[in-house]
Amino acid sequence: MSHAQWQLVGFSLRMALLSLVVVLPPGLAVAWWLAKFNGRGKTILETLVTLPLVLPPVVTGLVLLELFGRHGPIGGWLHRTLGMDVVFTWRAVVLALASMSLPLLVRAARTAFEEVDAKYEQLARTLGAGEWRVFFTITLPLARRGILAGILLAFARSLGEFGATIMVAGNIPGQTTTLPLAIYQAVQADDDGLAWTLAGVSAVIAFAAVLASERLSRRRS
Amino acid sequence: MKLLPSLLVAGSLWLTVTLAPAATVTVFAAASLTDSLKDLAATYEQQSGDQIVFNFAASGVLSRQIEAGAPADLIFFADEAHADGLEQKGLLLSGSRQDVLGNSLVIITPPDHAAMTSPAELTNAVCQHVALGDVKSVPCGTYAKTYFTQQGLWPAMAPKVIPFDNVRAVLAAVETGNVDAGVVYATDALISKKVKVAYAIAVTDGPKINYPLALLKDAPEPAAARKFASFLESSAAAGGFKKYGFLTPSAPAVP
Amino acid sequence: MNHDLLTATFRKQFPGGPAIAVDQLRLGSGITVLFGASGSGKTTVLRCLAGLERPEAGRIQAGGETWFDGATNLFLPARRRRVGFVPQDYALFPHLSVARNVGYGLHELTTGERSRQVAETLEWLGLTGLEDRLPRALSGGQQQRVALARAVVGRPQLLLLDEPFAALDTPTRLRLRGELRHWLRHTGIPTLLVTHDRFEALALGDEVVILHEGRNVQQGPVPAVFSQPFNLAVAEITAVETVQRGRLLEVRDGLATIAVGNARLTALARDLPADASEVHVCIRAEDVILTGADAVQSSARNHLSASVQTITRAGPLALVQVDCGFPLMALLTQVACDEMGLHPGHPLVAIVKAPKIHLIPADNAKDRD
Repeated sequence: MSHAQWQLVGFSLRMALLSLVVVLPPGLAVAWWLAKFNGRGKTILETLVTLPLVLPPVVTGLVLLELFGRHGPIGGWLHRTLGMDVVFTWRAVVLALASMSLPLLVRAARTAFEEVDAKYEQLARTLGAGEWRVFFTITLPLARRGILAGILLAFARSLGEFGATIMVAGNIPGQTTTLPLAIYQAVQADDDGLAWTLAGVSAVIAFAAVLASERLSRRRS
Repeated sequence: MKLLPSLLVAGSLWLTVTLAPAATVTVFAAASLTDSLKDLAATYEQQSGDQIVFNFAASGVLSRQIEAGAPADLIFFADEAHADGLEQKGLLLSGSRQDVLGNSLVIITPPDHAAMTSPAELTNAVCQHVALGDVKSVPCGTYAKTYFTQQGLWPAMAPKVIPFDNVRAVLAAVETGNVDAGVVYATDALISKKVKVAYAIAVTDGPKINYPLALLKDAPEPAAARKFASFLESSAAAGGFKKYGFLTPSAPAVP
Repeated sequence: MNHDLLTATFRKQFPGGPAIAVDQLRLGSGITVLFGASGSGKTTVLRCLAGLERPEAGRIQAGGETWFDGATNLFLPARRRRVGFVPQDYALFPHLSVARNVGYGLHELTTGERSRQVAETLEWLGLTGLEDRLPRALSGGQQQRVALARAVVGRPQLLLLDEPFAALDTPTRLRLRGELRHWLRHTGIPTLLVTHDRFEALALGDEVVILHEGRNVQQGPVPAVFSQPFNLAVAEITAVETVQRGRLLEVRDGLATIAVGNARLTALARDLPADASEVHVCIRAEDVILTGADAVQSSARNHLSASVQTITRAGPLALVQVDCGFPLMALLTQVACDEMGLHPGHPLVAIVKAPKIHLIPADNAKDRD
């Protein structure tokens, strides 16, 4: 593999990691809320969060394009106030990866939170801990295995993300081209050798991530 | 005998199916031909009774699909290179290939942008994203790159390029305003009301754009395909293409 | 005991569960045992006092603070009450060491001060050297002590223990019972301790509150409540072995004569209402002596001719049911049983002292409603 190809792998990994950082706080927050509460909006929130998992990725990409495009509600505001463009830049890549991996993280984290026995949290409260302290010192540590499994799964999904990415970030070599996009491009350009090489690299990374995730999920029980 | 009426019904159905004169012709055509071909095919279907089925995409994608064995009767590509590729692989019916149409390139922008006096303006800092068809597989993109290279603008432009899978995707990108400019065929710009032609590249300045039409050697419906191909090459069809802004042998330049 | 350290009156209903209706539960310094059958709501009472459950109505006041007031919708959640809570399974944080478990509630102190207090409490409970162990590496007794340490290290106003010995095996239970009483008294923190074991109640408690179907029906010093159950329900809950209905024949000179079955009993009249005619007679098996059939003079007022009906052996003891005109249970040692050669049909005399017979007027029906 050439230097450019290794750079491509590096770019994909960086984007996947960055998207993880972006998706963790909201993902954990939503998962925690779904695990602990039974409010009115619960079913709607559950459905919204699961949507990227079941809709065609291009549809998610389309929604992101509408929202974050230069004339979209969020993209327009960013462009006018901060002079910042999202679509067709690396930011859109992070956005696409985060959107597609959010459902996986939320599902895994929610299960992990639900499995934390409430008695520990209650006892922590009798010892004077407020909700934030209970979350960070009791709930999160006790749920960390399941959450880590979810993070690995989300990471693997990010690395393989294509449909939403190509819609909202395009396939700009050096700027938004991730591994899956590069493979697609190679296929379009009749470069099967490159396509299979990159596919192999993808497969190895994904396999390692999913294997680690499964191991973490299993040893819990 | 209650069996007789059923036999009669079954028999007539069978006859209808086997003796039906209507054939289905499959055409793999460049995306830029979408509207014009659909229009002409509608007319043809009424006249001939045959059915035309299209697969529109970038010529590069189409040629790959055919190489992989996709069943098609006719190809109608936007550049010679991809047709050459199929010809070299012996997939085209020799002697059937014809250059039917020409086209020219235009630089389009969202409607609120100022007009351009020269393509060099694309290299300005204010222009951040330029949408092109993927230069490796989409003819429109390849043509655009050739043109810009000829003009000495390609090195400055390359970093701004956002590649798309086909010319219609380029058009859509400019329509949404998410890119500053794009290069499409003049015919595509005519279709859309949401873009503005900022600069028309003269036919003589730009690369020669040819639309070859050919039959495939393993066409499922060779007779019907030949009939449709002749129709497309006829002057009646030429009028239909001209309406959409294409250059035909009888009208080699945009007025 | 000064009973004003905590006053609680509250109601709590779980859908499909027991209804808790505590009325004027008052705790003082010292150890109060909350005694009742399983399902009577003891754990719910504890959780309401801890602030883990919100009652529907009522008032809970502790040490001058109002923890709950249904009228003004005031509810102080658990984290704002200074309460030490030790649940049945201890709920030690599995991912934290002993030292971190015990120090968990002291997060507002400086690290140095926290370590000092943790070390002090651990030493007092004999847990020095176990600071870095994880809960799963501790024995049952050690876990109990760590849970206790964690609950008391922050000097709470109230200590709540739910069946502290439920998770331990019998030998450990017996061994730790005395130690627990010693530790609890040493802390000086008012303690409410839930148990359904009469011997634990007797060993650990200064006072006992009997909980019956969610209501506190009797409260007082442990021996008094156990020997003088207020009504049949309490008698049943405190496992009085012999409860029989009898007719009051005469009350004279502070003594009452009761006809029970074919027998006559003499008991202390105590506070029998003047118009009582029917009474329930309560006699604890451990207060019954069995002797040979030969008449012998003793100070006891009740010598009843009886014959053995059944013998149930359990450990070093034997529960003997005799028929003396009514079924009477006696608790003997197995040794005594064997020495006397007891077997079904064996004739003997059952002796019960008058003060040991407790009378419940028959109007004090099971339900006070």
